[in-house]
Amino acid sequence: MNLDSKWVPMKWPCGPLEIARRNKPQSINADLKETLEAWGQPSALELLKGTPINCLIVDWAYGVPEDSAQQRALKPLLEAGRRLGISFVGKVALKEGSGAAVAAARAAGLSAVMLGDTSGQSYDLPTIPQFPRDKVAWETASTIFSSTENVWPGLGLETMKGDTAIAGPTGVPWVNSNGWFSLLAGELAREKTLWLDFDPPDTSNLLHPASYGLAVADSRAYGSRWIISLDDKLRAALPKGNSQAKGVWEKMCEAIAFFESHREWEAFKSQGILAVISDFRGENAFLSGEVLNLLNRRGVQFQIIERSRPLPAPAKGLKALLWLDKEAPSAEQHSQLLAFVRQGGLVIASAYWGPAEVKPTPKDPSLQYKMYNVGKGQIAVAEEGFQDPYQVSVDTHLLVSRRNDLVRLYNPDATNCHASIDPGHRKRLVQVLNYSSQPADFVTVWVNDRVGSARLWRPGTKNALTLQGVAAAPGTDFALPPLSVYCALEFEGSNL
Amino acid sequence: MITTTCSRRKFIGAVGATAGAWLARPAMFLAHAAPASRVAVGMCHEYGPEVIVALGNMFDQLGGMERLVRGKTVAIKLNLTGVGTNRLGSLPPGITYWVHPQVIGATVHLLAKAGAHRIRLLESPMVTTEPLEEFMLQANWEPRDFLSAGARVEFENTNYLGNGKKYSRFWVPGGGLMFKGYDLNHSYEDCDVFVSLAKLKEHTTAGITLSMKNCFGITPCTIYGEGAPEDEPGLVPRGGRGPFHWMNRLPPKSAPPPVNASALSSNPPKDPGGYSVPRVVADLVAARPVHLAIIDGIHTMTGGEGPWVTGRRHVQPGLLVAGTNCVATDAVGMALMGFDPMADRGTPPFETCDSTLRLAEQLGVGTRDLNQIEVLGTPIAKARFNFRSV
Repeated sequence: MNLDSKWVPMKWPCGPLEIARRNKPQSINADLKETLEAWGQPSALELLKGTPINCLIVDWAYGVPEDSAQQRALKPLLEAGRRLGISFVGKVALKEGSGAAVAAARAAGLSAVMLGDTSGQSYDLPTIPQFPRDKVAWETASTIFSSTENVWPGLGLETMKGDTAIAGPTGVPWVNSNGWFSLLAGELAREKTLWLDFDPPDTSNLLHPASYGLAVADSRAYGSRWIISLDDKLRAALPKGNSQAKGVWEKMCEAIAFFESHREWEAFKSQGILAVISDFRGENAFLSGEVLNLLNRRGVQFQIIERSRPLPAPAKGLKALLWLDKEAPSAEQHSQLLAFVRQGGLVIASAYWGPAEVKPTPKDPSLQYKMYNVGKGQIAVAEEGFQDPYQVSVDTHLLVSRRNDLVRLYNPDATNCHASIDPGHRKRLVQVLNYSSQPADFVTVWVNDRVGSARLWRPGTKNALTLQGVAAAPGTDFALPPLSVYCALEFEGSNL
Repeated sequence: MITTTCSRRKFIGAVGATAGAWLARPAMFLAHAAPASRVAVGMCHEYGPEVIVALGNMFDQLGGMERLVRGKTVAIKLNLTGVGTNRLGSLPPGITYWVHPQVIGATVHLLAKAGAHRIRLLESPMVTTEPLEEFMLQANWEPRDFLSAGARVEFENTNYLGNGKKYSRFWVPGGGLMFKGYDLNHSYEDCDVFVSLAKLKEHTTAGITLSMKNCFGITPCTIYGEGAPEDEPGLVPRGGRGPFHWMNRLPPKSAPPPVNASALSSNPPKDPGGYSVPRVVADLVAARPVHLAIIDGIHTMTGGEGPWVTGRRHVQPGLLVAGTNCVATDAVGMALMGFDPMADRGTPPFETCDSTLRLAEQLGVGTRDLNQIEVLGTPIAKARFNFRSV
């Protein structure tokens, strides 16, 4: 069996291995032990009936004495799961000698194993490599890969006063999002699926239903999948039929089902006025990653281009290239960059590679850039190189100009959006996410096209609502109804 | 980054020592010398072509703009408070808390037509040095519309040094109420005519914000903002104008010093913003005189100065006000809002603050006494839109 890109994965911690793991550094309490035992029973799978969740991640081998007990204990669960059409992926966390564990997984009927270190070994079972976020081997042969060290989406704690968002130093609430990383994975590992591994924060109460919905939406809207992970309190409460816990679970499943019913959106490509170019690796990884994160937070619509790929020509919507790396372009890239500029594009870089005879022109005093007019376009060179990712993102937005925004949010508060377009350029999608647990009121989406109406999609509703636009030259305003977690505006036309 | 902070008491101590002397004897200042003035009131119900007609008539009623602006460089301070992505409900800022682009365009067009040599649109947008055009674009405005409204139209963000080589110093005649003088962007000096183009609004801290309070925003946050350095202006603003509200921080030593009011240090005001902000505003309009005050009250909001204020509401008074004296113009504006321009602290709209009008009047800037103001165009009684009764 191969890895299935349609898998909807969920962590299923249970059994002797998880109990042993939780027994350190202090003794596990009786309630938690009972919960972990309960989730190991086949009856626990009843929870999944009617949901899109079809792949469970179970602990398989950690190189501890409890490994074999775990594998034995899981047998009834695996058998019951298979009867329900559920696939199982065993997590193997061994530094070496994974072969025996993988063989045992194969014998037990697991569909795949998730490995921290594949080390180029081949196994007779599909493997899902898992990497820390800053060490992802983008060239992995696996069609599904996973990253750890992601963030739980939502408002940053430093911008919270009780339940209310307060402005940060940049004037907007800081939000934690994995969106930029999912977009990066979409470029560096094309045609592959990223599973984001992150757990809910440890809180004293059940998490707000919106928190789980956001964890789903922040992954799916940007093209990745969250390995669903419930907090201990929710997992303890669900088997007991707690109505509040059931509500949280149902809301989350509703969000997953919504995205499963819109799988066609996964083929949509980010729509960008700007292409961000880097190798996104090694010494360039931090700056380039942060710039992506901050550009996304500023609502700048961008595409990502790995430095080794061919550079684009100016096309409708693409106005600028941001060359982030210190490394100079190759001879071929150099001519591509100059062609882009001569045709009217803007290249933003930390060094000048244009014609030597061109001298910089006067510039706005607020921008620490030298501006060179070349052909119909410009090259903007950061006078002191690229140092502060925040400043790079601010300057880039100004250099490209808000006049070129494709989408803008009004009354954004803790919301953000992602614009994408279908490969045939007939459908455009603007997905709006609310990172606060409080509904966002009076958010208006402005798009740079004159469109009469849009289809408004929201989790929990089967059919789209038609939203009428209000002309706001040169585009159109769409006033959203109160936004709990997520909505998507879909536009159709022949000239997108 | 080096920053200067001090306690409110210390700030007041520094500010109050000099001011105390005149506060004790306000009559010795120039109230009696306040000039009489003429103010035009026009009815205009929408932001369409009718704006230019209404404003043109009002300028004619004031004696025409030609003698004021012909051959001159005109600087227009716009009221673009907050950020353009903030809306009151779904309504764009020009409909609620910013001066509307139609009013800006009409003003530029009429002043250019009257012979202005150059027109500069100015604002100090909150905590940013970005070009003013970019700030406007964020609100979905098109700055090119203003460029085409006159022959030589320019923009400058005055929240920092901008295109200038140094800040311009403006001393307050009579010594000032809060500071002896203010360091401002060069644009406020490099002009022959200064116009305050404001919105008709109430204000949480200052009671009202009309043509005078609009000038609060001429102060650069590199000097008067929260993150300004201790000795010299910052290169970029690091915070808003909180120090004027909270009296908790002094500007860099390079700026003119605060007025010394020892009386205040022993008896600090309960509401520092309500004390300080009106005084700073009065200082500013005394130091940087306003030649033409225009107030956009066609559409606006009640309850405060922006959508961040609770209890606010969009309203449509359908009014334009213009005058060549900012105190008189604001007095008429207040009356049109249903307030008594002679009101002072404790009386609406100055429930928790001092009256900027009274303070400016005492500095000799103008009169707030409607008996000394000639109201042209639509009578106040006919045009009044009571802000507290809607």
